[in-house]
Amino acid sequence: MAASGFEGFEKRLELRFSWHYPARDWLGLRRIEFHHLERVLALVQCTVVSAVGNGFFDAYVLSESSMFVYPTRVIIKTCGTTQLLRSVCPFILLAADLGLTICSCRYTRGSFMFPELQPFPHGSFKDEVSYLEDRLPAALSDRKSSVLRSNNMAHHCWHVFTATGCARLGYVTGDGSYTIEVCMTELDRASAGRFYPTGIMEGCSISKAMTRATGIGDINPRALICDFAFEPCGYSMNGIDGDRYSTIHVTPEEGFSYASYECNGSVHDAKDEITWVLRKVAQVFGPGSMSVSITGVSQEVWARIGGSLEALALKCCDRSDDEFPGAGTVIFRTFTRMTRSETTTGGYNGW
Amino acid sequence: MPVPVPVPMKGLHFRPEIITPKAQGSKREERRRMGSFMSSFFGGGGEADPDEEGSSHVQAFHSFARWQLHLNSLSQTPQLMVVDFAASWCGPCKLMEPTVHSLASKFPGVSFAKIDVDELSDVAREFGVQAMPTFVLMKKGKEIARVVGAKKQELESLVQRHHTAS
Repeated sequence: MAASGFEGFEKRLELRFSWHYPARDWLGLRRIEFHHLERVLALVQCTVVSAVGNGFFDAYVLSESSMFVYPTRVIIKTCGTTQLLRSVCPFILLAADLGLTICSCRYTRGSFMFPELQPFPHGSFKDEVSYLEDRLPAALSDRKSSVLRSNNMAHHCWHVFTATGCARLGYVTGDGSYTIEVCMTELDRASAGRFYPTGIMEGCSISKAMTRATGIGDINPRALICDFAFEPCGYSMNGIDGDRYSTIHVTPEEGFSYASYECNGSVHDAKDEITWVLRKVAQVFGPGSMSVSITGVSQEVWARIGGSLEALALKCCDRSDDEFPGAGTVIFRTFTRMTRSETTTGGYNGW
Repeated sequence: MPVPVPVPMKGLHFRPEIITPKAQGSKREERRRMGSFMSSFFGGGGEADPDEEGSSHVQAFHSFARWQLHLNSLSQTPQLMVVDFAASWCGPCKLMEPTVHSLASKFPGVSFAKIDVDELSDVAREFGVQAMPTFVLMKKGKEIARVVGAKKQELESLVQRHHTAS
């Protein structure tokens, strides 16, 4: 790995709200004026580069990752050296002005490649948790922070903090909805190379050309894709499909290459949906190392995925699960590319 | 370039009752309160209302009849028309507003039309608008290109490419 470079690993924040006025409106947080959103993002140190909305939510591609605004939920994911947690207080205040009270918070991230370059409080998970603890209202009394570790010190860990104050949250636990967060490093050079602009195709933007050439559009063929290509290299996209989002961010440079994939879904979807998605993502990026964190599904659901990634020469190295208030089960698995001898002798089956 | 086939509008739940004079008034009041509230948080001065009207180079259509008239008159000419499908409550649409006004000023030979998807939901449905903003470029009554989402460079390069009458 390079001595320094762009930090691809993102910080992810999800804030959920509930109505405290008897009258509700179907827009909720989407009523927040765009110029207010811009000011919050300025605190975080990023800007909007592209956006699209449908009847369910608004999706913003940011200069460092993405933001999704649903009526009672906001998800914001930023990479580099952004100060993501500075958005917590402004969002709580903006929501309160619309009649919404915060009822749960979830913060997750992997391990930074260059932690020494992170600004306060992101230099340590302990500082991040402290920062959140001080700013979340006391009503979110059920709190937990934990690091899901890998046995292999070379692999990143998964840091999770959740806080909730809602006794019953049908949309958080028990309703079958889940979130998948995939982090990939050591991208194979051929895959990474497709995220460098190679000239404009006639009738097609650079970002569209990348989406097409890499097969990203095939991960969810139903999704409408809002893509963006960065100079001199790099790529981001948000996909919207009804109330479902998906998002991909790529840092292709050798030495610190990174790609992430995230989406939400439901256990009531087609049985093989998660399997299909994970296989397709691994095919697109050819990672040397891949971690998958799924929030909101049981271990039984995960077991159905079986050896799907094994067929792509990715062996499961570690597993770590935990329960979090307001989020349910968080399952964390890491995979590494098999060596030639491992693939020829049938591979590892550690599911 | 293949012309995209409009698909039935799905997943778009437009609520016409949001667009009422009362709603607009309360929205202005809400904005004023939020503006001063946020100013105190950020430590800035008074928050000015963002300018919603902008340049008059963009023609907004509020009735089906007027829209049809405009569409019919342009279908007889090779003039490029850019139709901006947006909603008053749509955040991503707000992001594109300055770009649309600036393009309208830069390319006076191009007709820029704005359609509110709640006011003229039938027109939005007819054009297969599934997400916003959606920009449909038309010449001689036929769609020649479309941009879905707030993509400034893509819209500008398409207008640049097609703005000459041919």
